Amino acid sequence: MTRVVSVLIGIALVACLPVLGDNYLLRLGTMFAMYAALALSWNIIGGFAGYPSFATAAFFGLGAYTGAILQGTGVSMFIAWAGAGLVACGFAALLGMAILHLKGHYFAIASLVVAEVLLEVATSWTSVTGGGMGLNLPVLQISVEAQARLFFYAMLTIAVLALGMNWLVANGKLGFALRCIRQNEDASSMVGIDTTFYKVTGFALSAVFVGSAGAIYASWVFYIEPADVFSVLTSVKPIVMVLLGGAGTVLGPVIGAFVFIVMEELVWRNFLSFHAAVLGLLIVGLIFFVPNGILGLLRRRWTSGSRPQSSEENVE
Amino acid sequence: MTTRLFDHVRIVTAGVMLVGTCLTSAGAVAQETIRVGAPLPLTGPLSPEGIKQKRGYDLWAKTVNEAGGITVGEDTYEVEIIYVDYESNTPRAVQSAERLITEDEVNFLFSPFGSGAAKAASSVSERYRIPTIAATASSEQVYDQGYKFLFGTFTPNSTLTDPLAEIVAGSSEDIQTVAIYARNDLFPLAIAEEMRISANEKGYEIVAFDEYSIGTVDHASTLTLMRRSQPDWIFATGYINDLILIRQQMTDLGVEPKVLTMIAGPAYKEFIEATGSAAENVSSAAWWHPAVSYEGEGIFGATSDYVAAFEAEYGSLPDYAEASASAAGVILQLAIEESGSIDPEAVRDTLTQMDATTFYGPIRFGETGQITSLEPPVFQIQGGAPVVIYPEAVKQADMLYGDIQ
Amino acid sequence: MLYIQILLNGLMLGGLYACIAVGFSLVWGVLNVINIMHGSFVVLGSYIAYFAYVHLGVHPFFSIVLSGGALFVLGYALQAGLINRVVGAPVLTTLVLTFGLDLLLNNAMLLAFSADYRTVRLENPFGSLIVADLVIPLNRLYGMLLAGALTALLYMVLVRSRMGRAIVAVRMDSEAAALMGVNVKRIFALTFGIGALMAGAAGSLLSLIFPISPIASTDFLGIAFVVCVLGGLGSIAGAMVGGLALGVIQSFGALFIGPQHGLTIAFILLIILLIFKPTGIMGRRGYE
Repeated sequence: MTRVVSVLIGIALVACLPVLGDNYLLRLGTMFAMYAALALSWNIIGGFAGYPSFATAAFFGLGAYTGAILQGTGVSMFIAWAGAGLVACGFAALLGMAILHLKGHYFAIASLVVAEVLLEVATSWTSVTGGGMGLNLPVLQISVEAQARLFFYAMLTIAVLALGMNWLVANGKLGFALRCIRQNEDASSMVGIDTTFYKVTGFALSAVFVGSAGAIYASWVFYIEPADVFSVLTSVKPIVMVLLGGAGTVLGPVIGAFVFIVMEELVWRNFLSFHAAVLGLLIVGLIFFVPNGILGLLRRRWTSGSRPQSSEENVE
Repeated sequence: MTTRLFDHVRIVTAGVMLVGTCLTSAGAVAQETIRVGAPLPLTGPLSPEGIKQKRGYDLWAKTVNEAGGITVGEDTYEVEIIYVDYESNTPRAVQSAERLITEDEVNFLFSPFGSGAAKAASSVSERYRIPTIAATASSEQVYDQGYKFLFGTFTPNSTLTDPLAEIVAGSSEDIQTVAIYARNDLFPLAIAEEMRISANEKGYEIVAFDEYSIGTVDHASTLTLMRRSQPDWIFATGYINDLILIRQQMTDLGVEPKVLTMIAGPAYKEFIEATGSAAENVSSAAWWHPAVSYEGEGIFGATSDYVAAFEAEYGSLPDYAEASASAAGVILQLAIEESGSIDPEAVRDTLTQMDATTFYGPIRFGETGQITSLEPPVFQIQGGAPVVIYPEAVKQADMLYGDIQ
Repeated sequence: MLYIQILLNGLMLGGLYACIAVGFSLVWGVLNVINIMHGSFVVLGSYIAYFAYVHLGVHPFFSIVLSGGALFVLGYALQAGLINRVVGAPVLTTLVLTFGLDLLLNNAMLLAFSADYRTVRLENPFGSLIVADLVIPLNRLYGMLLAGALTALLYMVLVRSRMGRAIVAVRMDSEAAALMGVNVKRIFALTFGIGALMAGAAGSLLSLIFPISPIASTDFLGIAFVVCVLGGLGSIAGAMVGGLALGVIQSFGALFIGPQHGLTIAFILLIILLIFKPTGIMGRRGYE
């Protein structure tokens, strides 16, 4: 219970960010919420089920374009965002049925390539997506501060919903099934778990909030191009964040997203020419020194030795 | 149990403090300087372009400061350009623009490189009502959102293709068919479309209009088709690496049109160095060329003075991207001095009314904020160097036809 | 006639593709590591060839030895020092690790060489061979032949030498190989080194054909991926077949569907193959 309370306090604190009156800080906060949502979503298929999905960029871009196209037809922003989430979910379900029988590297590549294919489709289908010339979105006629607040709260809502979803999955049958699949898929199916059903469900769930986040992002920047929204970094960063925080846990992705965003901002400000290299160093360091994520490190310190892990905790 | 709670709280608070300290380290801003924000792709695929722009801006800032600064009413202000690297990533460019405006509190903004990023970032500067000058954005789509604070130093793409079509049509050569090959990206595609329109107007037959995706490493199929259909005129667009490769493969496969026009590589010396003798007789157009001659108001004086200053500083002739960046600075300076203040609204209004001549050419902005007064030169590489073919006033040589190997 | 020309274009391109991919395939097949740095290795090889030509006058075809050697050392060191520690780890760990290392390498190259595109322009260019209305660019033809020769050499080494047999053994079953007295860790390092060597050599060959810049590394990596999946992992013949197949498919695809879809074709093919036959045309076999 205390954990739930402290998380709620944390959310409330974050929600007070606009009080500081700094638009740039609010922008960072919005990015944090967005990446937290992406990381939490990825956690379902990558953390719980152990399937290394690189499809995040595909869902994000799909959501962005869906939202932009819907808004272009006059639909309200909020409906467009919800619609984008649904479309991404449906797409993921179909895609999942096609590629979730693959394992390991093959699945990773297939999911990565989907984003590339969608990028090419977006670039070629000029009549609908504007092709290489991108797509405009309707400009909001409200003040800068109001806009910053609007998008901050929108992303925060998505992040909180994703967090809630993680919690529900972790404590429910789906999470149990996914964890079984991760440990030993063949054994799981022999025991009677319908692996295909649970995998596809997990994959579809992992797309909903990513799609919505993509649509919100599109509304936020007023102009999208295929290369921006289908970028492979959109797939890689959430993975690094989850690994950083602790894969397969509920809070891990959030912590990872937070730490990553802070690190990235510090690096960007201070190392003008070699920030990519510093990021690379950080990633390498992460792999070697923090292999179970920050939560894993903390747990090790708190439960050093005797106490057995309870069933909802991180399963290594 | 409570230790867990406190740990969580500690972590969150520490994080907030961490973020807070690094963000507030920007500190207070003393106003004896005019701060101009310049988000640029200093790393990543577009970094060659970003570095060019930076050179142009730096030369301007240095020249202005050495001359004592910008006169605003009775005071003089120093110029400080604040660079942020957005890693050739457009969302980061948008973020950079906001950071420069809210954290570094810049008074004015220079746009990121290219049409796409300039357009994306302009949404931020428009929201904050900060006058923004785009030094490398030509596509009309960049300026189509009705923004009031965005100005551009490149004329629309049609101003490049129309004169080209006219010159070729006016020659005595028998040139009937045109093949267009464009990179599927905002600027290269847009200008290819303009070429199609210009060519149609002049009565040419467009035998092919193909696009290639970003990251294409082989153009052999399209070029093989061209070898068979043998168009008189081939018009290819892309970035410098694409055009180098296309030119090379054309030589390999024996595609030899009467006219070969490429945009936007040939203006850069890197293109000529990379293609060597194959660059001969390649034609192109750009918004400026060192050979044009304008008597300028503004800190650089006449075109020849600017070229000399650039050569003294960097040891090479300026190309149109570098010149455009310097011009952006000059334009900003003229607007500030004329309005006698650094108030964004006043400077913006002055910009809309501007009618001046600089080393870069005559400066007048249209309704959308894009410049309308330039006469982009057409040039051709002859004897290993670009020579100007048009406009008449600065023409150095006639256009040569054929002899493309 | 047109089709023959397109076929030729595709084959020559495919030979180059195969050369790019063979090292990548080897590493993936033997160590089960996807080396994201592979594209950057190729680019580094190209730079070595470029500077060797500009400063020392060494023809890029000869600097294969230089680039190959330098990259082998680099690859061996990286594997022995860093990557060996995560060889048994889940897919994600190795992917993220090599991704981070690639960020480092690429940024370093960007700082050292700048992003400006360079090409190796020979004093006496090769020109093209014209046979009955067919044009064969000689630099590509020689490139393809040399690539083939290198690949054949690699195959010989794997089949004939002790070290080669050890590598094959490790690929088939690393535990059994260890039981037979093979120093698996050293074989891993060796294999990675060889993979890097092939990448560097490919880079040398390519320096005559493609403009060089650190930015191009992702293009090469993408090609390597598709070729491996097309042809089958860990097998040299697979890389050859996959490369040639991709080259030909792209050439004809560009002809029939349009050049802007060249990459899309490759990727859709990739997905279809992954769904229906992930082990590729040649399957996982290849040495036997």
